[in-house]
Amino acid sequence: MAIDKSSNRSAHATAETTPRRQRISPDTVSGYAFLAPFLIVYAVFLIYPLFRGFYLSLHQWDLLAGPLGWVGLQNYSDMLSDPAFWNALTNTFYFVVLTVPITTALALALALALSRPTRTNAVFRAIFFSSSIVSVTVVTLIWQMVLSPSQGILAQALGTVGIPPLDWLNDQHLAMLALVIATVWWSLGLPLMLFTAGLQQIPGDLYEAAKLDNASRWTTFRYITWPALHRTTVLVVLIEIILHFQVFGQPFLMTKGGPAGSTRSLVQYIYENGFRDWHLGYASTGAMVLFVVMLVASLTQLYFSRKED
Amino acid sequence: MTDLTLRRVIKRYGDEQVVHGIDLDIREREFVVFVGPSGCGKSTLLRMIAGLEPISGGDVHIGDTRVNDVPAGKRGVAMVFQNYALYPHMTVRENMSFGLRNVNTPKTEIRQRVDEAAAILRIEPLLERRPKDMSGGQRQRVAIGRAIVRKPKVFLFDEPLSNLDAKLRVQMRIELARLHRQLKATMIYVTHDQVEAMTLADRMVVLRDGRIEQSGPPADLYESPCNLFVAGFLGSPSMNFLPATVTDHDADGVWVDLAAGGRLHVPRDGSGLSPGETVTVGLRPEHVRPADEGTLAGSLEVVEHLGDQTLLHIRLGEDSVVIARDEGRSAHTAGENIQLAFSGSTCHLFDGDGNACPILSRDAAIT
Amino acid sequence: MSNESTNRRPDTGRIVTLVVLTVAAFLWLVPMLWVLAMSLKPNEVLMHTTAGLLPVPFTLDNFIQIFDTAKVTRWFLNSVGVAVLMTSITLVLSSLGGYALARIPFRGARFMLIFIIAGLTVPEQAVFIPLDTMFASWHMNNTIIALVTPRLAVPFGVFLMMQFFKAVPKELEEAAILDNASRLTIFFKVMLPLARPALTTLGIFTFLYSWNDYLWPLVSATQENHYTITTGLASLQGNFAQSEGLGFLMATAVFASAPVLIVYLIFQRYIVRGIAMSSGK
Repeated sequence: MAIDKSSNRSAHATAETTPRRQRISPDTVSGYAFLAPFLIVYAVFLIYPLFRGFYLSLHQWDLLAGPLGWVGLQNYSDMLSDPAFWNALTNTFYFVVLTVPITTALALALALALSRPTRTNAVFRAIFFSSSIVSVTVVTLIWQMVLSPSQGILAQALGTVGIPPLDWLNDQHLAMLALVIATVWWSLGLPLMLFTAGLQQIPGDLYEAAKLDNASRWTTFRYITWPALHRTTVLVVLIEIILHFQVFGQPFLMTKGGPAGSTRSLVQYIYENGFRDWHLGYASTGAMVLFVVMLVASLTQLYFSRKED
Repeated sequence: MTDLTLRRVIKRYGDEQVVHGIDLDIREREFVVFVGPSGCGKSTLLRMIAGLEPISGGDVHIGDTRVNDVPAGKRGVAMVFQNYALYPHMTVRENMSFGLRNVNTPKTEIRQRVDEAAAILRIEPLLERRPKDMSGGQRQRVAIGRAIVRKPKVFLFDEPLSNLDAKLRVQMRIELARLHRQLKATMIYVTHDQVEAMTLADRMVVLRDGRIEQSGPPADLYESPCNLFVAGFLGSPSMNFLPATVTDHDADGVWVDLAAGGRLHVPRDGSGLSPGETVTVGLRPEHVRPADEGTLAGSLEVVEHLGDQTLLHIRLGEDSVVIARDEGRSAHTAGENIQLAFSGSTCHLFDGDGNACPILSRDAAIT
Repeated sequence: MSNESTNRRPDTGRIVTLVVLTVAAFLWLVPMLWVLAMSLKPNEVLMHTTAGLLPVPFTLDNFIQIFDTAKVTRWFLNSVGVAVLMTSITLVLSSLGGYALARIPFRGARFMLIFIIAGLTVPEQAVFIPLDTMFASWHMNNTIIALVTPRLAVPFGVFLMMQFFKAVPKELEEAAILDNASRLTIFFKVMLPLARPALTTLGIFTFLYSWNDYLWPLVSATQENHYTITTGLASLQGNFAQSEGLGFLMATAVFASAPVLIVYLIFQRYIVRGIAMSSGK
């Protein structure tokens, strides 16, 4: 009886003063139970490796022999004076600077041209998206063939109008351009769909109002469509920067980073340091640099995507 | 025996208190309507009874059990939501049996209870359909059916008719009244629509800012609102309020001078009032008539023909408009000057704090 | 179409646009059509000329050769195994986690959300080296587990499912609570059936990602019989640089792309919706 009473009173007290602060609520138990499976995988295979990568970058670490000793920031200072690193970084920036504006402009133009919700337009969109579905291996295979001076369909087509074949992938001036062309073909689908989704959110009555105000097509685009797409455009550009900064397969498979290292990307530099030269510590240093660049871009993206929520 | 009791019930969100110590006794089989403007706490109160919101303070009893810490499903209450909240991937029958299946009711009993409820609501032909293939009215019937099947001690309705169109709303209102008689169950109903509240309630509870302003049978509240808020909230169009000054009071009532002109004797208990005090005279539109010779005069601004009646909006002064009701199709037209007649005995009187002066009862007059 | 033209005069601007678009779409498809055509031509013909978008002379020999080549079928099956496992586990982890973040008011939920969203900023390329050393120390490189697990840790799916569950009306869950449903019942009987479209979208995305992933399988699966079809095809490119196996190489590329293209054709609208959803509506 006495026990009964006191327990009753304490239950009462918690309910009155600090509602569910002391004991763990059933919601908290089930919340963590539901989250646990993912959380464990997440912690072990994403968060831990990130810190381990930093740890590796402070060591000399061999692919087979393992740790060969603590070197502090030596890897970082080595990297800063490594011309190959600066070359890879410059190439990557160059690649991004070429790819992102071309893809964005092309995707926006296509999205606008295909904005009316007709079946034909949906088919067109499906066609332009279809090339995004295949793997980088297939894309690079296709474009190696297309651009081949001896067997390529481009050389054949240009040959019929008397233009001599170009050796795209072995020409120091054309190789990067070839990678950009293949990449634009491969990655146009995502920004096209993002712009299309953005366009569909513009209320139709805005256009009707513009029509009643006798706005020309250009005026309508300039004062209605473009401002409404502002946020989408920022997102598209950021997503593409993040995506293309990590370019690896295209140069690795199409040009092997050549000719003369003119297309070697940052990720390829990391990969080759790690798995060709077995310097995992040094390679991790490159990965850390990549991560920091990506982090800045991602945070900017998160900032813009949440801004209007 | 009281079926549902609220004692000093409090709701806090963080540091902000939104329900301030509600005391309420709801009798078995009573149809109680919580009514009030949005944000008054009526839905929060209902959800605390349901068990969907933790109770920050005070006690809720259903029957003899204190249910503060009883999980929602075990309180013996069922709720009907404004947006129906039917499970979209289940048929009507599955929707209605879900609750019983969760407590392992035998299949034959589930079937029988669902059929019974479907018969009461006349939704048998819908049983194998899915919510997306039904109209709003049908969905709300199913939602009510889902509640009935569980044979709850208390039915809770959270603005159940707000998503329906006007005509259907009237129909469902009548249906709900019929259901209440037929099921003989306790029902608590939340609405911001005073017509629903007036027509359905055995007892109406008017809430404002997390407090009960007044509670009682709808007719009582309409006839003798306890303060300006309740007076203004009930009735459509709402009560006219005329500022006035007390000149004198006696055993038969109070003498006031209306700010808009005219002198008036209101038979209310003015013992708390002193001459010179500012008061408000409340006057329902149905008690004001256009007349050849009246207490007030003004210009007719707007005439609203509603068919069976006509509402006349008369401007008395800079910021004072009175609405009067005329039977049938009024002969008056906008723009004309008009005199208004009414009797002091139909007027309400509110003191400076907005509280009503009580009606003079015979008993009060004697003592 | 005819409706429109009877209402207003065919507008020349629109016709020009249509023609330009048609030509562009055709050119867009040419590389793929050309590869398809080559895969259906005999090697001897391709040695002579690779020109032409039509498969004449026609042969299925290159495809038959694939099934005779043990390693290509092996890679294909590896890819199927990885994709199926990765997709199904991702669906389970993401729906459970997404539901918790969207709907369960547990202590620390806000912190967990930030902690998990932070993971969206970590690219695969930044962690593949430490991951490789981890699996190496467990002697688990060249296993299907090593190929599958790192991708399970990417929070994209949890995030997508959370967005979806947040959009489900709260009252539905409250009705279920009043119906005496436990958390698990609510999740399995009410929320999960509703989430079918979102799960389909996430499943397709995961499948496509898994099938096409290149860097991690390249690093982790170094033995030829553990290649996926994507890394396997890349390894063929070097060896078959000469034109003697061109038809076979092209057939392998077509074969490697067939599953994703079929998925794309069937589930196109889910992909479009998923992109719109993941971009924050």
